[in-house]
Amino acid sequence: MRRFNYDFGLTIAAVILMFSLSLLCIGSMFYFKWADLAHVSPMVKVAYQERMNQLAAPLVGGLLLVLALCIPNRLLSSRWLNLLAGLMGALLAGIWIFRGWRLALLSLLLVSSVFQMVVLLLVLSGRKLNFRCEGYRAKLGSSLLHLGLVLFCLTVVLLGYTGFLPWLFWLATSLVFLGLVLV
Amino acid sequence: MGFDLGHAFQVYQNLGGLVRIFLGILVAALIGTLVWYVFSEDERAWRWHYRTILVSVVTLGFALLLVGYLHLAIYLALPLELPPKLAPMINHWLKTMGHGVLPPYRPEAPPRFLLPPWLEREKFLFWFSGYAVMAIWACRGVSFRFTRATLSALLSLQLLILLFINPFTDPLPRFFEEIRPWTMPLSLMERARLFARLYPRMVFFYNAHYMWVHPPLLFLSYAALTVFFVACLSMLVIKRPELDQMAYRFARPGYIALTMGMLLGFPWALKAWGPNWWWDPKIASSIMMWLVFSTYFHARLYLTRRGMWSFVSWLGIICFVAMLYTFAASYLFPGEHTVH
Repeated sequence: MRRFNYDFGLTIAAVILMFSLSLLCIGSMFYFKWADLAHVSPMVKVAYQERMNQLAAPLVGGLLLVLALCIPNRLLSSRWLNLLAGLMGALLAGIWIFRGWRLALLSLLLVSSVFQMVVLLLVLSGRKLNFRCEGYRAKLGSSLLHLGLVLFCLTVVLLGYTGFLPWLFWLATSLVFLGLVLV
Repeated sequence: MGFDLGHAFQVYQNLGGLVRIFLGILVAALIGTLVWYVFSEDERAWRWHYRTILVSVVTLGFALLLVGYLHLAIYLALPLELPPKLAPMINHWLKTMGHGVLPPYRPEAPPRFLLPPWLEREKFLFWFSGYAVMAIWACRGVSFRFTRATLSALLSLQLLILLFINPFTDPLPRFFEEIRPWTMPLSLMERARLFARLYPRMVFFYNAHYMWVHPPLLFLSYAALTVFFVACLSMLVIKRPELDQMAYRFARPGYIALTMGMLLGFPWALKAWGPNWWWDPKIASSIMMWLVFSTYFHARLYLTRRGMWSFVSWLGIICFVAMLYTFAASYLFPGEHTVH
């Protein structure tokens, strides 16, 4: 029997999730036009944004989960990975049900950023990790890029709690830029 | 004595008219030499075609310089200068109504419009110039007839669009419509009211620092994406690794520019529009485009697997369609980015 390639599976899952999110974006555009949301009161607009955020949250959560699994995939065996995936999924679902999507997403983002930082530190320390890309520069770039993207998502979600955090935004942007250049 | 904007405008229109005529000739020459190149084995055909592309790049560069000249003239000739009596009143208004976000008016250095060369219809000139330079670079690195011909066919199409859109005869129509009342005789109160409308627009839009990074990065990414699209299209026809390398060589800077352009638009949007713009159609379509582009990079990691070559090539083509759709969204969907 052919062995399941975890990396490939995660990549395909990421591709499907990103495609689904793209379709949601296209749908939202047509809905925006159809409902003439450009000319409604700010209250109606906020309600629409909240509804769209709620629809997008499971997909973003799924992407974060895939990303979070990509990270220990560099450290752990697939058996532990499955266990971790189950645990994280349950944690996400639990917070979602009892405390709402925003807090669930925020928790997942915080866990993801910790994972990403650990990987970044391990890459910096020169430890051999299981990456798809080859070379120290590319591995460092990939770690920085993913950490930056998670921190950017955190900036967006935190807008609803703390307002705009410029230091977090600029940190995320710098990491993304550095990562893109290096990868 | 102030700078004569009328004279600068006339110079711009006259030279712009010449550029337009020359562009028309260039389009004819490009199409002619392209047909020669595609249908003949004559080696001179590519040389002549390549020279025509080079002349197109130089012409587009000159046109951009001309735009720069007009913008410099606007900067020098159109200060938002207030009568001395109005300055204290306006500064009081800026302090109370502007919540300190708008800088105070300084009579010794009145605010001036610092316009970048990617406003209104000029953005096509900037975008297509970027593409022309990248197409030349791409043509040098690849020898497949299909790829070269598609690259220059797209350049010809872009020059045709530029001729049709024509940013030379009637430049910056919306800007001049906004600013025109300022140049007319007005009462003190009318001038104060107009200043209160124009000054925030100047600070948050025309002169914003983000204006100098957000749009150009996106247009440069569009240009790189077009070359990337040609490479992906060629990958479907010719299965050679050089084409995948070419696609990646342009996808990478295109993705960097797109990601950074989008990220840098975030604080600008918060500053200019407040928090109420999330899920705006243009934002949604930009995110969609970025996601499709990201799937390309992820899928490309498995290019050697069965069926992935075609899948990755098609992803590149979908990326380009997503880009066209995102660009068109400003014209087709209502929202903060809508072009009326």
